[in-house]
Amino acid sequence: MSGGIARGRLAEERKAWRKNHPHGFVAKPETMADGTVNLMIWHCTIPGKQGTDWEGGCFPLTLHFSEDYPSKPPKCKFPQGFFHPNVYPSGTVCLSILNEDSGWRPAITVKQILVGIQDLLDQPNPADPAQTDGYHLFIQDPTEYKRRVRLQAKQYPPIV
Amino acid sequence: MMPMAAAAAASGAEAGARAPEDELEPLFDYSRVQPAFAFNFDDTDIENSDIFVHCNKRHKVSNGDADAEDGADEGDKADQKAAPGAKVAAAADLGEEDWLPPPPSKSKDAVRAELEKNSILQELRLQKQVMAKFAESANDILEKLVETAKQKVDAHEPPEHIDLDKSPERQVEKSREKLIITIQEKDGQQQFRVYKDEKFDKLFKAYAKKAKLSPSDLTFVFDGDKINPASTPEDLGLEDDDMIEVRHNP
Repeated sequence: MSGGIARGRLAEERKAWRKNHPHGFVAKPETMADGTVNLMIWHCTIPGKQGTDWEGGCFPLTLHFSEDYPSKPPKCKFPQGFFHPNVYPSGTVCLSILNEDSGWRPAITVKQILVGIQDLLDQPNPADPAQTDGYHLFIQDPTEYKRRVRLQAKQYPPIV
Repeated sequence: MMPMAAAAAASGAEAGARAPEDELEPLFDYSRVQPAFAFNFDDTDIENSDIFVHCNKRHKVSNGDADAEDGADEGDKADQKAAPGAKVAAAADLGEEDWLPPPPSKSKDAVRAELEKNSILQELRLQKQVMAKFAESANDILEKLVETAKQKVDAHEPPEHIDLDKSPERQVEKSREKLIITIQEKDGQQQFRVYKDEKFDKLFKAYAKKAKLSPSDLTFVFDGDKINPASTPEDLGLEDDDMIEVRHNP
C-alpha cells in the first residue's frame, strides 16, 4: 500500500525531472536486464560545481528508495571509499536533509536532494564527520585535502 | 370558529344543489385555512383561533357544542353526499356541461361551417405540402451549393489538403507526430519543435547554426547518455516537453 504511494510519487518525480532539471545532472530509475524499470533505485550523476576543486568531476550517486518513501528519505550512496568528510566509508551520504530525524520532509524533491548534495561537496560539515580520512585532511591539511579532491574529480570524468 | 362552521354548513347546503362545482371548492379555497391573524407563538388564545377549527372539530363535537355539531354534521353529510353523488352528478351533467366538446350540431349552418372548415383545412394542408416541397428544394439547392463550393475549394487547394482526407496519408501524418523538446544549455533553455521520427542530426545542425558553432563542438545528452545524431526522438522514447542537454566539447 505504502509502496503504491512511493512508486506513484517516484513516477511523478521522474516525470518532472524529464521536463526540467539542472544542467549536468542525471537522474534516472534503474533499468533491469529485461527492460523493465525499477523506480526504487535511481542512478544519478552530480556534476562538481564550477569554480571549485570539484569542477570537472561527474560523481555517480545511487538513490535507494524504500517503500516508506516519501515518509522516509532515500539512502544516497556514492561509490565505496568516496573521499569526502561527510560520506561514510560505505559511500552513504550524511546530510541533514537526508536524515529522517532532522531535516527530511516528504516534500523534498529528487532535484533538491541532488542539488543539496552538490552543495555539500564543496561545503563539508566538520561538525558531522563520517570518515576519518577526509575529515582529518580537511581539518589538518587543507592543501593535501584540495589535492585529493581534485584527484578524485579527475577519477570521475564526464561520461560523454 | 363560528363563522367558519357556518360557512361550511352553507357550502354543504349549496353542495346539494350544485354538486359538481361546489364539492371541489373546499379543496381549493385556501382563504378558509389561511390564518387571518398575525401568528404569535406566545399567544395562548391560539387554540381558540380560527385556524384550528378543523382540528378541534371532533373535540368540540364531543363537548356538545350544539352550533358546532350542527355545522359539522351538515358539512360531513354534504361531504358524504358529494362522494357518491359525484358520479351520478357527472353522469347527469354530461350533456349540458359546457366544458365538454360541443356535440355535433345538426343545423345546416353548422354543417356548412364544418365543410368550410374542412375546405380551409384542406387548403392549409395543400399549402403545407407546397411549403414542404419548397423546403426540400431549398435543401437540395443548399446541398448542391455546398458540393460545388467543396469542389471549387478542392480545385483551388494544393494536393496536400486532400492528403489529409485520405486515410493512408493520414496515418503517415500521425506517425510524423511533433514533439517539443527543450534543449538545456549551461545558462538557459531553448525549445524546439521536431518530428518524432526525424533524425536528431537536423535539430543538432539547426541548433549549432543558431549558436554559431560547429555541430562537432557540441554534445547532446539525454539521461546522461550521448545522443546519436542518426537516432530519432522516437528511438529514445522522448515525450513532449522532455529536456535534453547540450554540452560544449572542451
